[in-house]
Amino acid sequence: MPETLLNIQKLVFTYKNAEQTLAEVDFAVNVGEFVALVGRNGSGKTTLTRLAMSLIKPASGKITLQGKDTAAMTPADMARSIGYVFQNPDRQIFHDTVAKEVAYGPQQLGFAPEALNQSVAWALRMTGLTELADSFPRLLSRGQKQKVAIASAIAMQPKMLILDEPTSGQDPWDGHNLMELLNSLNQQGITIILVTHDMELIAKYATRVAVLDRGHKVFDGTPAELFSGSRDIAAWGLLPPTAVALSQQLADVNAQNAAELLKKVMLAIKERSDDYA
Amino acid sequence: MAVNFEHFSYAYPNSDVVLDDITLDIPQGSFTVITGPSGAGKTSLALAIAGVVPHYFGGRQGGSVQVGGVIAAQSSMGELAKQVGTVLADYESQLVALTVAEEVAFGLETSGFGRSEIAERVNQALTLVGLTGLEDREVAGLSGGQKQRLAIAAVLVTAPEILVLDEPASALDPEGAAGIYELLYKLNCQGKTVVVVEHQLARVLPYASQVVVLQAGHLQFAGDLGQTLAFMWQQPALRLGVPPLWVIKLTLEEQIGLTLTAWKSEDEAAAELNKLMRTCAEGVAKSA
Repeated sequence: MPETLLNIQKLVFTYKNAEQTLAEVDFAVNVGEFVALVGRNGSGKTTLTRLAMSLIKPASGKITLQGKDTAAMTPADMARSIGYVFQNPDRQIFHDTVAKEVAYGPQQLGFAPEALNQSVAWALRMTGLTELADSFPRLLSRGQKQKVAIASAIAMQPKMLILDEPTSGQDPWDGHNLMELLNSLNQQGITIILVTHDMELIAKYATRVAVLDRGHKVFDGTPAELFSGSRDIAAWGLLPPTAVALSQQLADVNAQNAAELLKKVMLAIKERSDDYA
Repeated sequence: MAVNFEHFSYAYPNSDVVLDDITLDIPQGSFTVITGPSGAGKTSLALAIAGVVPHYFGGRQGGSVQVGGVIAAQSSMGELAKQVGTVLADYESQLVALTVAEEVAFGLETSGFGRSEIAERVNQALTLVGLTGLEDREVAGLSGGQKQRLAIAAVLVTAPEILVLDEPASALDPEGAAGIYELLYKLNCQGKTVVVVEHQLARVLPYASQVVVLQAGHLQFAGDLGQTLAFMWQQPALRLGVPPLWVIKLTLEEQIGLTLTAWKSEDEAAAELNKLMRTCAEGVAKSA
């Protein structure tokens, strides 16, 4: 039986003077999962993650973290268990060196000096920032700043990392590096919730996808189920990954030559899509 | 209106050279896409068309940029702005007014247009970007995607010949991004020259007439979509920038030894592959 890390039950949230943003959303995340949270702009993705972090409080419903009700917890309490990486890394970088920035969180949580040093060194190593430890964070590239934000989050040794659209506006090179980093953090046991619009990334990395549509959770399952063609995902503002879209349009041809060509086509698609086509 | 870079080099104040000896023609009416890894100089190249580089930032430049035959460095940003509409990557920084309608009207008010013409053109621009009905909304209360479309409307309203947009869909979901590019293509078809900086080439496959690859300040390649993607595919450092549909196409070409057409969409790809398989099947049937 997988251990439930975060359990959100019947969550309702409404911004002032607005329609209901989240309508009785149930969303449970188990230890070790890599969950993608998707949906149109304005579907409630960021709101859900902010509620999970206790940055805002729900109108009704319940959130538990490792079985404990988070209603009475502050964002600082939550930070011991969940690291949050904002879409814009500039919003969370304050110190004048990378190492100080990364050390700030665990210092505030009261890490002992040796544990602090170890944790910072590990976080810098995982994110490939060891050589930039003394650099001024604001002069780094966007991709590097984002790594600083991630290093700052993981230096607190959280069980879970929530990232809000970290690859939007990034070039494919930075995006690829970031996803490989998240994958290796996930391999080390950190649970990941990734808010994203990128279906290619979901297909490649996520073990589970939850879809929000106008405040309702309309799908929760594997990427393969989501992209199987049995659901009208366009109604939720989603496009299937290219390989899936293409393979769904290819005719079924039986003759030998054509079958071989089809095999090659499917192989090329499969190389692109790894294990989900 | 065309843009021509002649041996153009540029360095920001107190910095190394960010663009090195760029010679490039952006033909009138083209849909030109500038791409490449971070730090390639894409944004600087885009800003040079609007004269922001070097007029606003200062720094050192060599060679020249001509916009419609006028040398940008010898003109002013104000003069250039009549021809070149620019939407920055940090689009929020160019929004200055309180409400949506005021934001779009701002560029016209400062140019001395009459009240009724302003109202009409604001209306048209908001319709084009799909923000009709939000005229009186506060800019601060818009979503990221709405702000991005508002910045585009505020540029369109002054009817520039050339549109330069730095990652115009970065904050948008897939539908929103597709909508922006359909809009840009529509404007392109009406004769505007469109220049976009874009990382996700999948978004521009149906529209790009020229794709320019920059890397570390150098012009690596400029050509049509097919030429440029084939070039990127051959370069290990650029391969990741090839969109998924073309990864499939180029992999397949290597495997079957056939040259396929320049796919602009999944529909085109599926049509060609299905035709190819049908031809194979008929061949088998005949020889049997």
